[in-house]
Amino acid sequence: MQFFRPSSLREALEIRAAHPEAVPIAGGTDLMVEVNFGRRRPEAFLDISRLPELREIRREGPNVRLGSGVPYARVIRELPDQVALAQASRTVGSPQIRTRGTVGGNLGTGSPAGDALPVLAAYDARVVLRSSTATRTLAWRDFLVGPKRTALAPDELIVATEWERAVGPGSFSKVGTRNAMVIAIAGLCLQLDEAARGVRVALGSVGPTILRAPEAETFAAGILDEVGAWSDRGARVPEEAIARFGELVSAAARPIDDVRGTGAYRRHACAVLATRALTWALDDRRAAAMEAAS
Amino acid sequence: MTLTLTINGTSRTITCEPHESLRTVLRRAGCYSVRYGSDTGETGAAAVLVDGRLVSADVMLAVQAEGHRIETIEGLSVPGTLHPIQQAFIDTGAIQSGYSTPAMVLAAKALLDRNPNPTEAEVRDALSGVLDRETGYLRPVHAVLRAAAILRGEEPASVDVVHLDRLEGSGTAHHDRDGLAPLAPRVVPNSDVPATRVVGHAETKTDAVKLAKGNPAFTDDRDLSGTLIAKVLHSPHAHARIVSIDDSAARALPGVHAVIHHGNVPRVRYASGGQSYPNPLPHDQVSFDDKVRFVGDRVAAVAADTEETAQAALDLIRVTYEPLPAVFDENEAIRDGAPVIHDEPDMEGAHDAAHNIVHHIEARTADVERGFAIADRVIERTYRVHQVQQTPLEPHIAIARWDSDERLEITSSTQVPFHVRRMLAPLLGLPVKRIRIIKPRIGGGFGAKQEMLIEDIVGHLTMATGRPVRLELTREEEFVSSRSRHPQTVTFKTGVDANGKLTAQEMRVVANTGAYGTHGLTVQMVTGMRGLSSYNCPAKHFECDVAYTNIPVPGAFRGYGAPQALFVLEAHMDDVAAEIGMDPIEFRRLNWTGVGDPLDIAPQLGEGDPEAGGMPIIASSGLEEAVLQGERSIRWDRRADPGWRQPANRPHIRRGLGFAMAMHGTAIPGLDMGGASLKINDDGSFNLLVGATDLGTGSDTVLAQIAAEVVGVGVHDILVYSSDTDLTPFDTGAYASSTTYISGTAVKRAAEQVRAQIVDRAALLLGVPAESIDLHDRAAWGPDGRCVTLAEIALSTLHRQDQHQIMGTASHVSPESPPPYGAQFAEVEVDVETGQVTVTRLVMAVDCGVPINPVTASGQVEGGMTQALGYAHCEEMVYDETGRMVNPAFGPYKIYRADEMPELEAILVQTMEDSGPFGAKAIAEIPMDGVAPAVRNAIADATGVRINRIPLTPERVWRALQVP
Ligand SMILES: Cc1cc2nc3c(=O)[nH]c(=O)nc-3n(C[C@H](O)[C@H](O)[C@H](O)COP(=O)(O)OP(=O)(O)OC[C@H]3O[C@@H](n4cnc5c(N)ncnc54)[C@H](O)[C@@H]3O)c2cc1C
Ligand code: FES
Repeated sequence: MQFFRPSSLREALEIRAAHPEAVPIAGGTDLMVEVNFGRRRPEAFLDISRLPELREIRREGPNVRLGSGVPYARVIRELPDQVALAQASRTVGSPQIRTRGTVGGNLGTGSPAGDALPVLAAYDARVVLRSSTATRTLAWRDFLVGPKRTALAPDELIVATEWERAVGPGSFSKVGTRNAMVIAIAGLCLQLDEAARGVRVALGSVGPTILRAPEAETFAAGILDEVGAWSDRGARVPEEAIARFGELVSAAARPIDDVRGTGAYRRHACAVLATRALTWALDDRRAAAMEAAS
Repeated sequence: MTLTLTINGTSRTITCEPHESLRTVLRRAGCYSVRYGSDTGETGAAAVLVDGRLVSADVMLAVQAEGHRIETIEGLSVPGTLHPIQQAFIDTGAIQSGYSTPAMVLAAKALLDRNPNPTEAEVRDALSGVLDRETGYLRPVHAVLRAAAILRGEEPASVDVVHLDRLEGSGTAHHDRDGLAPLAPRVVPNSDVPATRVVGHAETKTDAVKLAKGNPAFTDDRDLSGTLIAKVLHSPHAHARIVSIDDSAARALPGVHAVIHHGNVPRVRYASGGQSYPNPLPHDQVSFDDKVRFVGDRVAAVAADTEETAQAALDLIRVTYEPLPAVFDENEAIRDGAPVIHDEPDMEGAHDAAHNIVHHIEARTADVERGFAIADRVIERTYRVHQVQQTPLEPHIAIARWDSDERLEITSSTQVPFHVRRMLAPLLGLPVKRIRIIKPRIGGGFGAKQEMLIEDIVGHLTMATGRPVRLELTREEEFVSSRSRHPQTVTFKTGVDANGKLTAQEMRVVANTGAYGTHGLTVQMVTGMRGLSSYNCPAKHFECDVAYTNIPVPGAFRGYGAPQALFVLEAHMDDVAAEIGMDPIEFRRLNWTGVGDPLDIAPQLGEGDPEAGGMPIIASSGLEEAVLQGERSIRWDRRADPGWRQPANRPHIRRGLGFAMAMHGTAIPGLDMGGASLKINDDGSFNLLVGATDLGTGSDTVLAQIAAEVVGVGVHDILVYSSDTDLTPFDTGAYASSTTYISGTAVKRAAEQVRAQIVDRAALLLGVPAESIDLHDRAAWGPDGRCVTLAEIALSTLHRQDQHQIMGTASHVSPESPPPYGAQFAEVEVDVETGQVTVTRLVMAVDCGVPINPVTASGQVEGGMTQALGYAHCEEMVYDETGRMVNPAFGPYKIYRADEMPELEAILVQTMEDSGPFGAKAIAEIPMDGVAPAVRNAIADATGVRINRIPLTPERVWRALQVP
């Protein structure tokens, strides 16, 4: 068994091209569980935890570029204004998992229960992949192609995810047995985009992969339009409309029965999370409007 | 490959495999404080600091640590000193077994190095990745806050006992505190209790220093060269016959030293439960059988040079199975036509093996039909309690070797070393005298280790290979192939008269003992005992069928049948009170037992011998005071406050309060026996040898306090050595809440013998009459104020004059089992849209007689309530349709973390129990009993919904709320 420890991205990509069997390891918090259980015994490891290029956070105007090797602990500290992402990062595992675990690893594993993923979906994030010869940028949905299946090619590494920061309230929430649960019954990210007058909502843990709820999004954007809430943040949205939004989100979920709950319950949980998330977002806007007025 | 790691400031070159975790490598490098909790990073027992930040060494690749700064607790302090965080963990009583203490201390260090003034929430977050099964996190949180204060140069708060005012007869005062319960143990004193110097004080634990420092103290910390690693092959079928086993390929694998299975191990019948001789029937197990009865049952075991090779050898064993139909539900298992689980001809002692009925238990005090006939109301409900696992952070582990006398020495994480020795002898074909069992420090047991579970495997393998053999269960094996709590279906029927007095109680139980009987009989007898002892009632009837099924085997689990019984009883009593329109506490008060009342069902269930005129009578009860203290602390009057019950700004939240009464036993009367011996040393210190088994509960400390009190020294002048079958007297072991009461009395007697000898010599040296001498402060004092030190007395008796060893040996068995009482209160918030329950506060006021050590006693209550909360709320072993457990890992099997905890409060209500040492009764198990019904009743109070099964998961509560 071999162990490669490149010190630059370029070197890493060359090794990747020459040794596609070498499994990239970042924080190792997903991979080591597999290795310890003997479920995976890679022929070789490619340690990408020391590549400075992957550990960068860059911001240019509204654009955010998050290096794939940035651990959750840094996301929480350094991106507090990306509210939903920071919230999701805070719910991951425990302090010691957040020290090591990376957003790139969350993408690499591609589990529908990955907590960062619904946020990236609601951010309309793109995943930047690079090989020794080329760079590709894929929309999140083209990267996360199925349950624990991604579009990563054997000679590529995930170098970053990037998105355009949406102005507007956003949140991440989940339902579990307790407030925090290693794998949630359901996770939801809602992001309002004031400029585009859009509402985006993404679901985790309730389908084979991360899901958006386009009908619900269109409906919510339309309702806000109808009541004039896009221009007047203080405008009220009727309760029934919020409930309807919840139903539409729930209809987009495709949960199965498992140890954490039946599909029916998890579908219901999505509706509750959605109505609450929208209510919080609208409350935030109203509060901001009142503050601006006073 | 070789790598260079910087461990605690020293650069070390280490060889390792590229895939090895940092935990594996650090342990090999001698950092034994980095412990196994699981392979998934969830327990945090292997947490270390890398560049000053906390990481889980079990999910970090060792090679990735090269070039980084690694710190383990071994580097925190040099011998003879303690880091302030370690000192704070000792002073606050934050250490129970200490298995995860090093990880907690490091988590605290990572926090405090960055944030010298953390809030409680920040401390809880910092500790949230280190699971603890024992303390309920209250004392660890205090320890970190205290360490922070000390490091800031502040004076920390006192840890000594706080006395609360007695409320009985004084009217309920108002309670005005919320948030973190104070660190100091809260005791309601009793004027009947004589003053003492060591007993009753907040002494630090005798083993705390080594645990705080992470010194090698546990089974796996023994470094034996040439040790082989054992692994067990488990059944993939819930029920199957083994047609053939071909082990030739496994044997041929280089590095494999033995493969054992039913074909080469003698078939000797036994029952694995660690109980007194003769072990209760049925004797339905053999080391390896030609039939498997649950997914996870033993098929074969191997011993090999490395874990990898052992695992590879398992994969090479070819087993042909003939799968059989399986049954998992206890009610289905006893129906005609169900698959017969024990059809082997040499099966001994089942009630009706053809119907999978292991035991049928009946007990009655009078004709219940008459009682129901005269009742004003008869109410009957059926309840179901589920299966949970003890999950000690340290899984089962045993290491066997031949010693230089060719005796088999087994170091084992067990609660019952003496039972293990006796039970093992026939299985291995060795006389008892050729076996020695040593119990080192153990990382929790909770009953899972009241079992001869793996010692036979390492014994057979050492005998087959001549080499030391180590077997440690993985976390998954600990879930599936260890022991758990019995599920039960219980129908409870109650008759009440027009005034609310009970006229008849009937409890019909179908219990599920899984594939083997082990504790099946005795656990269910305790269910009957506890279900029908709390209340006075003229007619009681208990009926129970214990069923074999194909689920993993239930056994002993802290509470031992009582948590099941008390969930049912206390949920039912609440339901009856609601039906008849009475206040739930008033209704219970009208009926609950007190001083002078008989435990009338006890003789029927094997406790107290009616022939000998032995109807047990309750001699002490602090229940009334406990209820008043609990009501005050939880602010029971808020039940009537609509503004509190339904907070205006959170429309989906309902709040409620619930109560449950708990009553337990103290030891098994006439059966549990403990021995102790005490001898003086040159300097006036003493060696105390006890068979009693400290599981982290602090029993070594409590026993040392008892001895110290009698001979007039401090607790740290007593050097305790416990549970080694060669060196210490016999003890039945750590179970049935017996250690303080039984072993404590043995210690007290041995110490009294020693005291008499000390006094005699002091009388001689001082020239005063023996009766006039008092022992305290490490000296014997005459009436005139002159004294002679114990060191002088020791030197005199050992070396100078009329030499003899001052020593005493005694043992104790009690005809009684005085009940401790508890009042359990719970405060909950229910999210009526999701069904999510948040338990916000748990208060338990307990009458445990005189708490010998109020800190360890409070720790038992706090930790017990937390474990019980898991039972109530979120823990559950779940199976697929083939009988395979689908959640054998922390995470999917959810236990509470530091940042999810409700506020906890333990109040110790003193009573003087004359039959116990210095007035003590038991405390260890009763905290398991009341939480589930109190939480369930609180949900009923909040929402009106009465749920008859646990755990109270969001989905279950939500579904109950949907029923119109
Ligand atoms: C105790 C515990 C609790 C956890 N709790 C949570 C939780 O609450 N929520 C949650 O979402 N997750 C949780 N996880 C899972 C895990 O921590 C996260 O998925 C984390 O984001 C993985 O990051 P990593 O850097 O450790 O990944 P690694 O284990 O290093 O890698 C994961 C996978 O991604 C690939 N990979 C990593 N980086 C790259 C890259 N740059 N390019 C290409 N491929 C790459 C690897 O080859 C591997 O297949 C938990 C894990 C543990 C052990
Ligand atoms: S002290 Fe925490 S698990 Fe034992």
